[in-house]
Amino acid sequence: MILIVKIFVLCGFPMGFDNTQKSMNKEESMKKVFVLLSVVVIAMGGLFANGAQEQENASQEKSALRMSWWGGDSRHKATLDAIAKYQEKYPNVSISGEYSGWDGYYQKLVTQLAGGTSADVMQVSPEWLDELMSKGNVFAEIDKNLVDTSKFDKRLLDEDCSYEGKLVSMPNGISTQCMIIDRGLLQRSGINPDTVWDWDKIISMGKKVHETDPSCYFNGSDPETFRYFFELYMAQIAGGIIDDDKTIMCTKDQLVQAFTYFKQWFDLGIVEPFAQTSLYYMKWDQNPTWINGKSATAFCWTAIINMAGKKDMDVARLPIMENAVDTGVRMLPAQLFAVNANSKHKQEAFKFMNYLYNDPDATSILGICRGIPANSNALDQLSREGKVDPVYSKATKIGLSVVGKKRSSWQLNTQVMQAMQDVIDEFAFGKLTSEQAADKFLTNLQNVLAEI
Amino acid sequence: MKNKRRKGYAGYLYILPWVIGFFTLQLVPLINSFAYSFTSFSILGSPEFIGLENYRKIFTTDPDFLQSLAVTFRYVVMAVPVKLLFALLVALILNQEIKGIGLFRTLYYLPSILGGSVAISVLWKFLFMKDGIVNRFLSLLHLVPLDWLGNPRLSIWTIGLVTVWQFGSSMILFLAGLKQIPKVLYEAARIDGAGSMRIFWKITLPELTPILLFNLVMQTINAFQDFTPAFIITQGGPMKSTYLYGLMLYNQGFKYFKMGYASALSWVLFIIILFFTGLSLKSSSSWVHYGDTL
Repeated sequence: MILIVKIFVLCGFPMGFDNTQKSMNKEESMKKVFVLLSVVVIAMGGLFANGAQEQENASQEKSALRMSWWGGDSRHKATLDAIAKYQEKYPNVSISGEYSGWDGYYQKLVTQLAGGTSADVMQVSPEWLDELMSKGNVFAEIDKNLVDTSKFDKRLLDEDCSYEGKLVSMPNGISTQCMIIDRGLLQRSGINPDTVWDWDKIISMGKKVHETDPSCYFNGSDPETFRYFFELYMAQIAGGIIDDDKTIMCTKDQLVQAFTYFKQWFDLGIVEPFAQTSLYYMKWDQNPTWINGKSATAFCWTAIINMAGKKDMDVARLPIMENAVDTGVRMLPAQLFAVNANSKHKQEAFKFMNYLYNDPDATSILGICRGIPANSNALDQLSREGKVDPVYSKATKIGLSVVGKKRSSWQLNTQVMQAMQDVIDEFAFGKLTSEQAADKFLTNLQNVLAEI
Repeated sequence: MKNKRRKGYAGYLYILPWVIGFFTLQLVPLINSFAYSFTSFSILGSPEFIGLENYRKIFTTDPDFLQSLAVTFRYVVMAVPVKLLFALLVALILNQEIKGIGLFRTLYYLPSILGGSVAISVLWKFLFMKDGIVNRFLSLLHLVPLDWLGNPRLSIWTIGLVTVWQFGSSMILFLAGLKQIPKVLYEAARIDGAGSMRIFWKITLPELTPILLFNLVMQTINAFQDFTPAFIITQGGPMKSTYLYGLMLYNQGFKYFKMGYASALSWVLFIIILFFTGLSLKSSSSWVHYGDTL
């Protein structure tokens, strides 16, 4: 304040009510005061900023990390609690959590990576790893001296967490695919809920659900989840759709076969029409049909089974045909943690990662908020503590028993998936016959593959 | 002289925040996006110059371009006139001298304050979903519920209603315009025996045409750029029936990370908007009446 007064005096502003003030043009004076005040405010801003800088320098010994993740409330709470525990153990480190839901997370992450403002520790989806690393080495190689990787499955680390032979991320949990079933609805429809499903049984028995009650369906997939069934079927008849060499693996005849088969799903009311499910893209669990118990099954990743949130919920194996070329059932790390290649605190970030994966306290706090832990020690500990839901265990066991080969990253490319989805949407709305859909499917894929 | 110069500096000082904002947040990105439109740029890598390739692809091989353009035209042609009509109608009602008119004006302006936000889009989804309030109401009246958002033929109109609902800003401008019309014109017309409809067509509407032109231009520009309802409510579906140009542009930039291509798309949109704005202004000489030409 003294400084402000001094500035006013030095600038020749009268600070008392003397005669000279009377002679001064009042308007001019006011303008000057405003201008000077603006300057002072800006200057004070600078002073405070300097003060903050000094404070920061004083506490430079304390490493400030940022960690970003997506998830629901239970994951947010567990992760924040684990962070708090770490800060308690290591007071020299402060960690701020940047968390949100799934929607828009990837877009934000990429924008931050491009702008150099991404967090030190980031939760990423395994499907993004190749795409992001190929465009720039954005993740640091894991320092195995600081992160204990010995309790993780080597195949998982090599195939899903590495890029060009370098381990650049670590898996949080294991997620595989299964079918969630509503035992009550199946029973009411005269179907044995313990049925081991194949594609023919879905037609012969699944149609009973809609026949018994026209407002109910055997499956309530949204358009994208329905595509998972389509890809599963294609994997079983053709081994997949696109291989690692970026070439299309399936023939037109195989595609016609798949489209002809799935046409029955729509004709017999096995799956809810797209006109009703397209509003719930990737959010089938929010579809009133599922919530109100009018959908008997759902395709689900085991890591997010809790999304289904049903009392009478059970799990079953996905349909697999006899003599399938490949089961098509996928297994992935549920999500990965990676360290920003440009982080100023890489060492601290790796230590924190190690804590998240290997510290018993962290394991206990985090529980299964990111799926069944990929760390065998952590899994044992949670099982002992009774924190692994039996449905999770059953789903994981069922999924792992039929895991197929790894899907090519080309088939998982966003544009490729969209190209497939566009044709499936048109087919589901009855705009294309099976033949036309197969032709368009191939043309779309060829166009996109030529471009990416 | 010195005093004058000082005054000048003070002025510059006050507009400095805006100037900095304009240069850093608008002009530089504008120039950058133009430059990027001639490159292949995946956001994480470095831009690579490819000449007119992006523009060639837009006009020759991209099926989504024509699809989204058609959807956007349909959206603009429906949403803008209906919105303006609705805004004018409400403005005429709110121009009456009745008790508590201030409250009504505030209430009718509320939707515009809420804006085309995410929350409103979510609300729309709940209103028009298959078990939503609208369909329940239809069922009460023994009418057949519709797939407002699931039917590819209906969805774009349902999305358009979000825009129509936000008629507040246009309505306020119409209201201000109505207040400016000299009362003497109405008095003279009534003395001459003109009825309400005749007065509306011969006095009110012609007097409002400058405001109508302004609203038409601004709302057309906004509608061409609309994004939120399609993104939140339908994600462009079903079957790309609500795949607005803004959403396609976003997907190219932030889903596929083709920033060069997205930049080219944004410049094409700019030219389209420029053309329609120019057309509106050019045509205005034949239908917009200023006070002295009535």
